[in-house]
Amino acid sequence: MPELIVTTREGDSRPIEAASGVSVMEAIRDAGFDELLALCGGVCSCATCHVHVDPSCAALLPAMSADEDDLLASSRHRDATSRLSCQIRLDQSLSGLRVTIAEED
Amino acid sequence: MTTLAERDYFSDHSILRDPYAYFEAVREQGPIYRNPDSGIIFVTGFDEVLSVLKNTEDFSSAIAPSGPAAPLPFTPEGSDITPQIEAHRTEFIGGDLLVSLDDKPHTFSRALLGRLFIPSRLKASEQFIADYSDALVKEAVANGGCELVKGIATPFVTMVIADLLGVPDGDRQYFMEAIEAGPPPGSLNSDDLIAQNQPLVIMGTYFVQYVADRRETPRDDILSELSNAKYPDGSTPDALEIVRLTTFLFGAGQDTSAKLLGNAMRFIVDQPGLQDQLRADPSLIPAFLEEVLRLEGSTKMTARIARRDTHLGDMAIPAGTTVMVALAAANRDPRRWTDPEAFLLDRPKAKEHLAFGRGAHVCVGAPLARAEVRVILEKFFEHTAHIDLDETKHGRPGERTLEYEPSFIIRGLGEMHLKLTPAEGFVAPAKPVAAEAPRKGGLKSLFGFGKKAATADDVPQPYSTATTKIGALIADPAATAILDRHFPGVSTDPRIGMGKGMTLRTVQKFAPELFTTEALDAVDAELAQLPAR
Repeated sequence: MPELIVTTREGDSRPIEAASGVSVMEAIRDAGFDELLALCGGVCSCATCHVHVDPSCAALLPAMSADEDDLLASSRHRDATSRLSCQIRLDQSLSGLRVTIAEED
Repeated sequence: MTTLAERDYFSDHSILRDPYAYFEAVREQGPIYRNPDSGIIFVTGFDEVLSVLKNTEDFSSAIAPSGPAAPLPFTPEGSDITPQIEAHRTEFIGGDLLVSLDDKPHTFSRALLGRLFIPSRLKASEQFIADYSDALVKEAVANGGCELVKGIATPFVTMVIADLLGVPDGDRQYFMEAIEAGPPPGSLNSDDLIAQNQPLVIMGTYFVQYVADRRETPRDDILSELSNAKYPDGSTPDALEIVRLTTFLFGAGQDTSAKLLGNAMRFIVDQPGLQDQLRADPSLIPAFLEEVLRLEGSTKMTARIARRDTHLGDMAIPAGTTVMVALAAANRDPRRWTDPEAFLLDRPKAKEHLAFGRGAHVCVGAPLARAEVRVILEKFFEHTAHIDLDETKHGRPGERTLEYEPSFIIRGLGEMHLKLTPAEGFVAPAKPVAAEAPRKGGLKSLFGFGKKAATADDVPQPYSTATTKIGALIADPAATAILDRHFPGVSTDPRIGMGKGMTLRTVQKFAPELFTTEALDAVDAELAQLPAR
């Protein structure tokens, strides 16, 4: 099972295990992190599952769609490491991925 | 005397008019309350509702469509009834719909829909939404008014989802007829419960054919994309799974979105100054809709069943306990919302309401609902100088009579008659909206009891597995006997409901091992001996 290391807004880090095929958002949500709102539930329609991905993992990620790019543009906390976690599907190749939950807009 | 909190929410029609007073009475018993008679847990607190919705480990969604008061198809045994739920899943009403699934089947099915509601897809649909709503609203304004719910909202949202899914124009009228003929979800009339999925069954017959066709010959359309979508692990879903999902989208998005328009309009006509403000600045409509969703969302509740022994707050919840998740109550919880009963256009974080749920099962079509209702409201404001309720139908302000649908799930008006004053310079459309004329035959032909083509009506045709729908075959005892001889039990198999509008040769595409070409040829040889009707 792919492992994911999640850092909360308070700076606490904790590894979680996720099933292959789920999104990073689903993995974080189902592991009980309350601060990821994910209001739209993973249909790339809000920007409330915003995370920062550790730059060391950036090359492994799928490219960003124009929709994701537009939605992230609405966040004041966007930077070069920003992604919507619902748009990253986990598999073994991403095991060890480190993400930090972005500040709330 | 029975107190308000003790009354039966699931069968008491008087609670329909104002469920909110009832929810407040229940809330007084605490945010988590066990009804002493039914044993159902009522969750009315915002945080508590969230904790149930997020806890997919301990709570199953299997009873979401049937509600917490319907009897279970088994007697819960032990501290983990997950295996029992899965063993009896198809015996729950709507137990295999997306809204009811748990765990991996849910994650996988939902992933298939993930790309349907993305912003660029909605933008592509927005032109259709704008054109169609423009025509509907202009016609209504030209007529001086309209009945909003059935006259405009229902056909509007049906056509929008049909367009989004890529349903061919010629078939859309059938879908509308099927939905209009069906009861609302969560109907309080228990007889309706069995028939509840009937419109979905009818639409299913169409989608079975779309999916089979698009798998065979993919085109550049949404149905092709959906039909050929893969699960997250790269595997290919069963064709019937795609059918279930698409028909479910119709059922789920149809009534709720239509009712949302009515609920929004109620604020527009009765909130002093509001319509002038929105007409002057339509960019306020999205914020307006969030506050409408919070106060009058079209889904009052959903339901869960504890599948493991668990806790809610301090209360022990044994596996098998059913939970009434009162979304509408959470949206007015004074611990979460300042002045919760007040309508505030600029309420902070209003969009964090739970009208669409939250977590794994949050409404997948919420972005569409928001877009379509926003667009048609823009049209109403553009073409009117004033919108009012028809006093001859609904009474004067302060003494309105408005009838809500008899459903424990849906919050929405059955009818809403509006008076529309044209905007300055409004030009009435030259001719009525070019809606597809209802076809002859209506619902009967969907089941195959009537025949579509005129020649088939006039000249008796011999039965055949390639041209006669299964519905027509099993309406004839002689043909049924032939079917059952070759495929034992097929005529009484509950799954055949979805296949009644299809021919056996179409069904063969889904179950080639069961319906072999040899067997169908043999059936044809026998059917040819029967007199046709």
